[in-house]
Amino acid sequence: MTSRQQNRRAVITGLGVVAPNGVGADAFWKATRQGVSVLDRISREGCGDLPLRIAGQVRDFDPRTAIDNRYLVQTDRFTHYAMAAADQAVADAGFLADPEQPYAVGVVTAAGSGGGEFGQGELQQLWGKGPQFVGPYQSIAWFYAASTGQISIRGGYKGPCAVVASDEAGGLDAIAHAARAVEEGTDAVVVGAAEAPLAPYSMVCQLGYPELSLSDRADRAYLPFSPDAAGFAPAEGGAMLLLEDEATARRRGATVRAHIAGHAATFTGASRWAESREGLAAAIRIALERARIAAEEVDVVFADALGVPAADRAEALALADALGPYAERVPVTAPKSGTGRAYCGAPALDTAAAVLAMEDGVLPPTPNVTEVAHDLALVTGRARPAELRTALVLSRGLMGSNSALVIRRGEPS
Amino acid sequence: MSNTLNYPELAALIQARAGVVIDPAALERPGAAFDEFGVDSLGLLGVVGELENRHGVKVTNGAESAKTPAEFLDLVNSAVTAKAGA
Repeated sequence: MTSRQQNRRAVITGLGVVAPNGVGADAFWKATRQGVSVLDRISREGCGDLPLRIAGQVRDFDPRTAIDNRYLVQTDRFTHYAMAAADQAVADAGFLADPEQPYAVGVVTAAGSGGGEFGQGELQQLWGKGPQFVGPYQSIAWFYAASTGQISIRGGYKGPCAVVASDEAGGLDAIAHAARAVEEGTDAVVVGAAEAPLAPYSMVCQLGYPELSLSDRADRAYLPFSPDAAGFAPAEGGAMLLLEDEATARRRGATVRAHIAGHAATFTGASRWAESREGLAAAIRIALERARIAAEEVDVVFADALGVPAADRAEALALADALGPYAERVPVTAPKSGTGRAYCGAPALDTAAAVLAMEDGVLPPTPNVTEVAHDLALVTGRARPAELRTALVLSRGLMGSNSALVIRRGEPS
Repeated sequence: MSNTLNYPELAALIQARAGVVIDPAALERPGAAFDEFGVDSLGLLGVVGELENRHGVKVTNGAESAKTPAEFLDLVNSAVTAKAGA
């Protein structure tokens, strides 16, 4: 095992976003700051007769222009999103990989379910026509590791590559994993998560989640922390970041957007929301300790905000346990109430939003939520200006993972 | 219709099954190799599968491992012709 090298620090230098409320960091941030809700009826083929009706669907993304034709044939939609977001992040950072140093760049993604839509098509061939009609790309396209593999192969990034499978919170755990790779000596890591769960087979898989909202009203389906909370609306899309070693990034003249200050993850069991209070509180405490910052230094919390009353209560109590009386004052926001939860992509999007919020000096609101049923200073209605130096991003998975990530605004060189 | 595969048909099949667009003339150029077009063995396996389904033939001579289009055509056409002659 490699030990952490001195004076290396992982910083965010580029953002890439494919989200229901915008493709590209600029469009995403504009909609997030305005608190636009894009939750709507799912319009994908074959999805119309399922009881899950409302979700955050990516509508402004044309894979034929964003992705080389071969990947349209060889990969699933979740990989299209990840590849497009990775391209954006690398371009946003102005990063050019040195072909002489292929091991200096790695790739880490998190995925909850992989390529369900691609897999369904091939399984229909299998049972409809026979095994000889199943295409060979089924062997790699459905696999949850596909996005890491394709980004790595296409970019020639041969450094540490990984897929984190730790539930929805894996979106944050992947960023922490990539930060460790940077601290241990890798110059740059393309990291994040994107998902594509809005296809018939994938949707049927989700119907077993008791937390899923089956509401048919877009403005009522996902109301975290409100008295009317009745589950969550799913979403597709996600975000990729470019993490670099700070000194290496500054040497090439890159803008340091934020640095990864602390992270911790815990596990408390599937759908055991009351128990998640203790697990999430522990993750927050340890992440703050590792970041060496006090509770009062947290300027904004991007909440997990599941939208299930017991889970919302546990999250509010976890914040109180970990932050003390300050928990009632710290601004808490959940922009995902306007887009839905893109599983592993959700905390990656929240991390991108946190970077953009700190840069813009703006607290984005929690769309659709007007009443708050917990002792939290939830940002509702409109965005508000605020001096933001430190953000705490929280995520929990339906299978019991809890994760907390602390990021701090980058200082000019 | 001929029972043998030619370069334009191969280019069309590669585009359909592997998503890689190649000019048939480039495939036909002496010394052309699949590597330079970015066509991998999974792509060729898909093309072989499609041909097997079309012709009702099993191509068991390793055509999917061919390194060049010329070699691939030879292997596929010999398999299809053997079936037709049987």
